[in-house]
Amino acid sequence: MTMTPVAVKVDGLTKTFGTGAAVEDLSFEVRENEFVTIVGPSGCGKSTTLRIVSGLVPPTQGNVSIRGKQVDAPIGDVGMVFQSPVLLPWRNTVSNVLFTAEMRGESPSAYRERALHLIKLASLEGFEQRYPHELSGGMQQRVAICRALLLNPSLLLMDEPFGALDIMTREKMGFELLKIWSANKTTVLFVTHSITEAVLLSDTIIVMTARPGKAKAVISVDLPRPRDVKTLRDPRFLELAGAVRDNIEAQWVE
Amino acid sequence: MPEERSERMERARRVAATLSGFAAILVVWQFGARFTRLPEYILPVPTVIAVRFWQTLAIQAHHLGVTATTTTVGLAMSLIVGVLLALSVIYIKPLQAIVLPVLAAFNSIPKIAIAPLFVIWFGLGLEPKVLLAFLLGLFPIFVNSVTGLGEIEPDVLDLARLAGGTQWRMFTKVRLMHAVPYITDALKVAFPLALVGSIVGEFIGGNSGMGYLILSGQFNMDTPLVFACLLSITLFTGLAIGVVALVERIFLKWRPSRRKR
Repeated sequence: MTMTPVAVKVDGLTKTFGTGAAVEDLSFEVRENEFVTIVGPSGCGKSTTLRIVSGLVPPTQGNVSIRGKQVDAPIGDVGMVFQSPVLLPWRNTVSNVLFTAEMRGESPSAYRERALHLIKLASLEGFEQRYPHELSGGMQQRVAICRALLLNPSLLLMDEPFGALDIMTREKMGFELLKIWSANKTTVLFVTHSITEAVLLSDTIIVMTARPGKAKAVISVDLPRPRDVKTLRDPRFLELAGAVRDNIEAQWVE
Repeated sequence: MPEERSERMERARRVAATLSGFAAILVVWQFGARFTRLPEYILPVPTVIAVRFWQTLAIQAHHLGVTATTTTVGLAMSLIVGVLLALSVIYIKPLQAIVLPVLAAFNSIPKIAIAPLFVIWFGLGLEPKVLLAFLLGLFPIFVNSVTGLGEIEPDVLDLARLAGGTQWRMFTKVRLMHAVPYITDALKVAFPLALVGSIVGEFIGGNSGMGYLILSGQFNMDTPLVFACLLSITLFTGLAIGVVALVERIFLKWRPSRRKR
């Protein structure tokens, strides 16, 4: 195995809310330019883990470090995509994508070209001047992805970004994301409860158990890239999806 | 564009419908009053009111100017104080426990009932009128400002923080923009209230303003003058709401049109 440097290191992470533990003693690593997906049932602390990694939420116990630096406040060099697109309704597509630049205090005009490039990459050409309510759910989420990538972050956090979309749009969005990602190779930590999505997108899958969330298994996805619709019919794909499913279903028996 | 044209036609049709509605009411009023032989001092007919309005135009303009001034100044004060109070409870959380109950308790006092007190305190000049207008306009502006400036989706704020947003940038580019429609909506409610404050203030004391003119019409049994005053006030309210609507058109272009929703 080639030794790519570690980008994110989560070590003995525990988070308790009130009486119950949402996440317990969770440890994993994400290497540079790796696409890592945390998959698990609802309420297993996936989203909490992502928020702790971003520095938005402090852990109860344990450590998160990004490129050797401990996270104790919202980290700057990160792109975030939530389950809902959270676009600002008074801004059009371009202006919404430029939001992150403005928040960082950069001049939006300096990023305009990159914004338009990302919009094109996300197949949103022709919708640059549209307001969010004029876009479909899938389009809105693609705007959110462009916004997250605008400042070229070295880490992209995605919290069930396609969870609110219908199943058909959702599959298509997976391929769109792969397209955008392959043009902007960055380290991704992705959270989902869709096994198909996890296998299609990832280099590594971390399967979590339900409350309290622990890492049940780590599965390497050795499917070749670029992946496309045919990947979904690849026997190896089905085998890997089966392996993920086995780990999740094993919890039902316990 | 054909789509634009049909939209225009649609608008013209609606305006025509509204106007014909008003016209119908005026016609019924005009001939109904004649038919029932109601005396003029009870219900003057529209043509008589129009004549009286025309005759008293200069006086109307003078008194309306006074009322417009106290209303506008009072409303401007409610806007400034309402927004500042809202900001204080949003940014200084402990203040919520003080400001909110105090304002709620204060709001439960009918402000009109304390108007005579203001005459005792501040005399017969413009001050008590401005104060009444201010107090009546304050509450709706404060409440809507708290919602508009304060109730931002947490994910939006998280996103802004992760991108390195300072409190100031989040204020100007998120909170303020989010608050605009809430504040324009509040103004549409607060304006008539502030106007009530001014006019009641004028009823109680002083010798100017539309409230005063209406009272003098009443004393002289000059009912057409009273109606002419109501017409002036209505025109003024229409103008003010029009200004707010213009602000909305400029700043809220992004809002989905209500008809389409």
